[in-house]
Amino acid sequence: MIPILGLAVGVLLGLYLDPTVPLALQPYLPIAVVAALDAVFGGFRARLDRIFDAKVFVISFVSNVVVAALIVFLGDQLGVGAQLSTAVVVVLGIRIFGNAAAIRRHVFRA
Amino acid sequence: MGASLLDAVLAETLDPAYAQAAEARAARASSPDGARRPSRWRGRALVALTLALAGLLVAVTYGQAAASAQGRQQVRSALIGDIDRESGVSDQLSRQLGGLRTTVDGTRDRLLAATTVGRRALDQLAAAERGAAAVPVTGPGLLVTLANADEKASADPVGGTVANDPRGRVRDGDLQLVVNALWSAGAEAVSINGQRLGPTTTIRFAGEAVLVDFRPVTNPYKVSAIGNPATLSRRFLASPEVGSLAVISKSFGLRFEFAQEDELTLPAASTPELRSAEPVSPAKGTPVPRSTPGG
Repeated sequence: MIPILGLAVGVLLGLYLDPTVPLALQPYLPIAVVAALDAVFGGFRARLDRIFDAKVFVISFVSNVVVAALIVFLGDQLGVGAQLSTAVVVVLGIRIFGNAAAIRRHVFRA
Repeated sequence: MGASLLDAVLAETLDPAYAQAAEARAARASSPDGARRPSRWRGRALVALTLALAGLLVAVTYGQAAASAQGRQQVRSALIGDIDRESGVSDQLSRQLGGLRTTVDGTRDRLLAATTVGRRALDQLAAAERGAAAVPVTGPGLLVTLANADEKASADPVGGTVANDPRGRVRDGDLQLVVNALWSAGAEAVSINGQRLGPTTTIRFAGEAVLVDFRPVTNPYKVSAIGNPATLSRRFLASPEVGSLAVISKSFGLRFEFAQEDELTLPAASTPELRSAEPVSPAKGTPVPRSTPGG
């Protein structure tokens, strides 16, 4: 319950405070969000599998977000930013989809 | 683990670290000194904090995307409004210009027609306007058509690329040649694809397009010339440049045709801007204005 409350508080804070992001960081926000979604879905699935671990979750979240943004940043510097962000989105998208399917199997038993 | 990268990505959707942590926990629980565990509450707080961060990230990104989309929309509609307004103003101004020109011309003609000197000046003016291509003209003449080579004719039927031979294209030089030959054959007025050629009109090449008076004209190029069709075509064909152009166009597949027309209508050319003018000094008493070259 507490984690979901945290999520809701974060969303509300973001919507009401509307913080301004530095212009240099703006291109990496969508990728960071996709990486964060991957970590959150992974954590939820691990919880349903009864192998959830707080430390693993926090570390995987932070590293996912940072690494995804870093890969895209590197790609931008090398001139392949668009292709690399596509690659990151494809891989993370597949993982999110797989985790969502596992969660569905847990919840609906189907 | 699957053999291929794609299999690995598809099969391993959950971070293996979770399984490792669970195993480590199980090992610690079964061992006798496994009592020291990190507090549950700290873990929960950390997870809640991380999820709050995730929510914040999602909300901020959503806000950014929405704001930028809205901003784009606003800028777009503002620009469209500007364009509409300014083109309306421009239309109105050109209508006003046309009206004023008609008034000025009418007044000038009426004033000049009142005296014999004026009538002579009016005749001179009319001749000058015809020469400067400032008035539309209609009459019999010659219609010369120049067109690029057919794409199929020059394309390699086996090779995959349909690279067009640049030599199969009509260039500005070809059109200049035709126009000059027409002038020297005695054409009174010439236009290319409805663009009348005035004394200061240029025929140039920019990239892939031929520009006549800085406005692009496209393939096929129809050059209309007004004059006596019989003499025009005779002299036109007799000129050596036209003969060589005919040979060139035959070898590269260009279309080069001409026909005598009973009636051709050529529009007025865009008149050069009036850049300098002098008032007529009343002491001399000459109503004929000294003409200064404009543009």
